[in-house]
Amino acid sequence: MPVQYISGFTVVFEVLSRFWPVWIALVIVMGASFAYKKKLALYGQLFDSGVGIVGVGICLFWLFTAIFAATISPFDPLAQIPIMKDVLPGAVEPQSGLTYLFGGDKLARDVFSRMVYGSQIVLIIAPAATGFALMVGITLGLPAGYYGGKIDTVLSFLANLVLAFPVILLFYLLVTPGIMDTPIPYGMAGVFFLFPIIFFSVLFWTRYKNRPDRLYILLGITLILGGWIYLGLVFDKDPLHIVHIDPNQLNIFVAVVFASSPGVFRIVRGLVMDIKTRDYVAAAQTRGESPWYIMLWEILPNARGPLIVDACLRIGYTTILLGTLGYFGLGLAPESPDWGTAIKDASRLLRSFIHPALPPTIALMSFVLGLNLLADSLREQSMKD
Amino acid sequence: MNEAVRNPAKPTPGPTKGPIIEIENLSISFFTRKGEIPAVMDFSCTVMPGEAMGIVGESGCGKSTVSLGIMRDLSNIGKIVGGKIKFQGKDMGELSDEELRSIRGNKIAMIYQEPMASLNPAMKVGQQLMEVPLIHDKVSKEEAYKRALDMVRSVKLPDPERMMRSYPHQLSGGQQQRIVIAMALLSKPALLLLDEPTTALDVTVEAGIVDLVKGLGEKFGTSMIFVSHNLGLILETCDRITVMYSGEAVETGKIKDVFDRMRHPYTQGLFRSIPLPGADKNSRPLISIPGQLPLPHERPKGCNFGPRCHHFVEGVCNAAEIPMIEVAGHEGHFSRCVRFNEIDWEALPPGAKKVNERVMPGAPVLKIEDLRKYYRVGGSEVFGSSEGRVVKANETISFMARESETVAIVGESGCGKSTLAKVLLGLETASAGTVTLGNTEIQSTGIDKRSVDTVSSIQMVFQNPFDTLNPSHSVGSQIIRTLEKFNVGKTVADRRKRMLELLDLVKLPRAFETRKPRQLSGGQKQRIGVARAFAGDAKVVVADEPVSALDVSVQAAVTELLMDIQRKNKTTMLFISHDLSVVRYIADRVVVMYLGYIVEQGTTDQIFAPPYHPYTEALLSAIPIADTSVVKKHIVLEGDIPSAMNPPSGCPFQTRCGYKKLVPDNLCETKVPPVKHLGDGHMSLCWLSDDVLAKMEPVIKFDKEHAAHEGMPDDASHGDGPGFAGTPPKRPRGKRPS
Ligand SMILES: Nc1ncnc2c1ncn2[C@@H]1O[C@H](COP(=O)(O)OP(=O)(O)OP(=O)(O)O)[C@@H](O)[C@H]1O
Ligand code: SF4
Ligand code: SF4
Ligand SMILES: [Mg+2]
Repeated sequence: MPVQYISGFTVVFEVLSRFWPVWIALVIVMGASFAYKKKLALYGQLFDSGVGIVGVGICLFWLFTAIFAATISPFDPLAQIPIMKDVLPGAVEPQSGLTYLFGGDKLARDVFSRMVYGSQIVLIIAPAATGFALMVGITLGLPAGYYGGKIDTVLSFLANLVLAFPVILLFYLLVTPGIMDTPIPYGMAGVFFLFPIIFFSVLFWTRYKNRPDRLYILLGITLILGGWIYLGLVFDKDPLHIVHIDPNQLNIFVAVVFASSPGVFRIVRGLVMDIKTRDYVAAAQTRGESPWYIMLWEILPNARGPLIVDACLRIGYTTILLGTLGYFGLGLAPESPDWGTAIKDASRLLRSFIHPALPPTIALMSFVLGLNLLADSLREQSMKD
Repeated sequence: MNEAVRNPAKPTPGPTKGPIIEIENLSISFFTRKGEIPAVMDFSCTVMPGEAMGIVGESGCGKSTVSLGIMRDLSNIGKIVGGKIKFQGKDMGELSDEELRSIRGNKIAMIYQEPMASLNPAMKVGQQLMEVPLIHDKVSKEEAYKRALDMVRSVKLPDPERMMRSYPHQLSGGQQQRIVIAMALLSKPALLLLDEPTTALDVTVEAGIVDLVKGLGEKFGTSMIFVSHNLGLILETCDRITVMYSGEAVETGKIKDVFDRMRHPYTQGLFRSIPLPGADKNSRPLISIPGQLPLPHERPKGCNFGPRCHHFVEGVCNAAEIPMIEVAGHEGHFSRCVRFNEIDWEALPPGAKKVNERVMPGAPVLKIEDLRKYYRVGGSEVFGSSEGRVVKANETISFMARESETVAIVGESGCGKSTLAKVLLGLETASAGTVTLGNTEIQSTGIDKRSVDTVSSIQMVFQNPFDTLNPSHSVGSQIIRTLEKFNVGKTVADRRKRMLELLDLVKLPRAFETRKPRQLSGGQKQRIGVARAFAGDAKVVVADEPVSALDVSVQAAVTELLMDIQRKNKTTMLFISHDLSVVRYIADRVVVMYLGYIVEQGTTDQIFAPPYHPYTEALLSAIPIADTSVVKKHIVLEGDIPSAMNPPSGCPFQTRCGYKKLVPDNLCETKVPPVKHLGDGHMSLCWLSDDVLAKMEPVIKFDKEHAAHEGMPDDASHGDGPGFAGTPPKRPRGKRPS
């Protein structure tokens, strides 16, 4: 039985309509943001420029795609339906009557569904890894910039060491099976994941030392939540079996955090060295504030502008990095639908079929583009006042 | 060719006989995304050859925009939206780009506040100077070198040959500014624009530059436009003055007319809010201008100054836009006020006539004895060499401050004022000596080891209002945090209540609680800074130039506030400043510092009257005073302040002192002088003998002649003409009992 095709026009129409939950969510969120932009501080100001609106739009688009992936995609991203092997876009799967909108790949999986599900992986790993890198970079960058001297010399040296190492080589080392079997990745994860807990504990401790009522609640939440996630991620011993990460993913995750925290460290250190000369820091010192209070509550909030911009760009880099890693087969499990792996798979047969390669490539490009636009317009807005 | 430098041509005859520059109804706007910002509106002025025109006004009033407009250097968003600028009779708007460029380089030169902005850091000074004649006049290299060297000499730089061989960063700020002036003069400009050329410099260095600038008109026939916020500087350097307010010229005329017979309430307000000699914190307090500058796009209809003016009359002042109105009887004196004929120029604004009782100082609160602070610098840490040099930031500092007393610490940059403040506040610990606060010695307890009590009883008001508040936290929360640190109040509600009371204390509306610092003006921020310093009932408040960064019209209000609170709380205040006019006004006692030493201390009267320490004398003479009846003894110090890394031997002041030759045996250069007691606690660090001291004359004198004539302008007949309706105007400021 030959596979039926629908017309190009119908494909476009179908694709657009499959994204219906995304459109609805976008309209609601963008509309609300636009209406209340005056009250939304920096985020609201993004809506003052075309670039900002496009940036926010693209990023939200992928965010909602990731959230509603199950509704949007017609097929299971891993399911193979042999008859659909290498079919062109618009092929109708005879049994369910649903369409392979972007065609099928060489393992007869639906390219469209894989792209949609791929967003989930990218949107979890890239921001989360960036988040952890921020935590590590900030927690180390603050004292390096604030105290200077020996602490700074040592930490900066380490950071430069990591930065000087070719990233791809680093990943080859970290992700090779030989190393993966050693406890090194878990050891590193154990260290990295400690940082957020330390960060938030110190944050609340310095601020609410004299107000036990608040302090205990906040510290309690931090320790319980942090401890729980920590147990789940590092030891895979979550008593509730909710928090869990594949060893493979953990590995990638640790490697990405390791590679990008020195960058954050350097930015934070530079910002702190600048901000610590301000009078309000001197004022805090003269009323007897502790160094960590000054770093976390007086300096850090004023470094947020450049840090937010950097975070946006960094999520973009990480996305590309994940793609590159996937392409070299260093990334996630071979059947994973993430964009990098998908591009790699498709590239092998690029000469005979180009269609499986295009959707993940365009997805990746557009997401990084969106993040860059967002970063650009954030930078512009934060320079304004 | 270098007679051009030595006896420079009087302005070339011919077309330049008329005015050098004529600005007619100039309007300049900036076009931003938020819309048009009219920065300058309807600005007119004329500068004749060899004449110096001063432009004064507060920050943001458009002074710099005018000078940039003349240079046609308004970036891409600024546009001249109306009016004409005629340079030597030619309308600059009609010139081609080519012609404009040649005028800009050759005939108009601009000097900015930051000398380094005009110098190339990678090129030797000599080369940069030589480039000017090389490019402009296409002369030979030798000729260019000769001219450059002559010019370096004529801007009074020491050791010109060495200067020519130095890179800009090897020179001090004052020397750099002189090089920039030399560079500008080499192209023999007809017009020199100076935008706050001395604001970044120390007072004694500023005095040297002012001295240089003053002579330029006569010596080189150059016309000048001198932009400044300092009325005193304008008085010393210019022939005529234009006062700007909120984008407009509000008054223009000859220096004497505007200073003594001003005809615009804003100008009068400015004069009343600066501490001229004769103002007194108890019997003749400063009078500040209420309110603040309107934003450029929120200017009121009619008179821009209306909302802040005591003489505002509904329907008259805001009926229509007000043109410049000529003041009859004064030559070239114009005012943008419709009511200047009706105003009683002597009346004080309502509520300004308050007289405070003199507060008697109580028991000693802060005692500093033989305090020293040395910093070890250099000596690389990595290679562990312990060599390193020692910078003596404070040497044998001893003085005392009593309850409710104001002690001023005066000195220029690098004299160790800030180090002293840091030691007092515990940000640094002393190397030797004692600091006693109440009954506790605090010199070697760092801030982290001080008890909450000690910390809260010595607090600080910082210099830069734009920097003292953390931009990320609301005003209220910052004060509450301070209260929390000082253990004031038990509950959150207690502290909030106290915070609101503090807002009342510094006369800010309670609604400011939730504001972010960027929503406050500079003066309001500084008030919050004051509130924070007094939050824990501080016994001693160190105020580090608390008003120097504020606009003149706001300074007075903040100064008065600070003193009111001090009076009420019986606080001891250490007032750090380089401005002796403010010090004379505010302080009970004065400590003068130079290169880490206290060179003179005594009561304010003792310091301001002879005998002086030679440095104090120079400092006094360097201060520009905006009063035409003051005659100052003219002392310009040579050279710059030595670096603390490399202090001179013997007396710290010996490298610049003019009295050195009166001391026998070369003592000044070999031995640090002993503290000389001149009676009643007046102390001076100097070798000068009693009879030399006895012969010293006062630096600041009132010109008797002028005082006798005041109130009787002899260039105008009284009683007729709109400028002098009614009784003849007396000194409009009411500044000094006559
Ligand atoms: N590039 C610009 N873009 C937008 N507005 C500007 C720009 N430059 C100046 N302005 C506005 O024009 C007005 C006049 O500014 P200007 O710099 O001339 O003031 P000023 O009198 O020189 O002040 P200061 O004493 O602080 O130097 C201000 O309101 C300022 O905010
Ligand atoms: S016009 Fe009216 S409001 Fe303006 S300065 Fe004169 S008196 Fe004051
Ligand atoms: S000791 Fe000598 S050099 Fe020092 S101030 Fe006195 S006279 Fe001048
Ligand atoms: Mg300016």
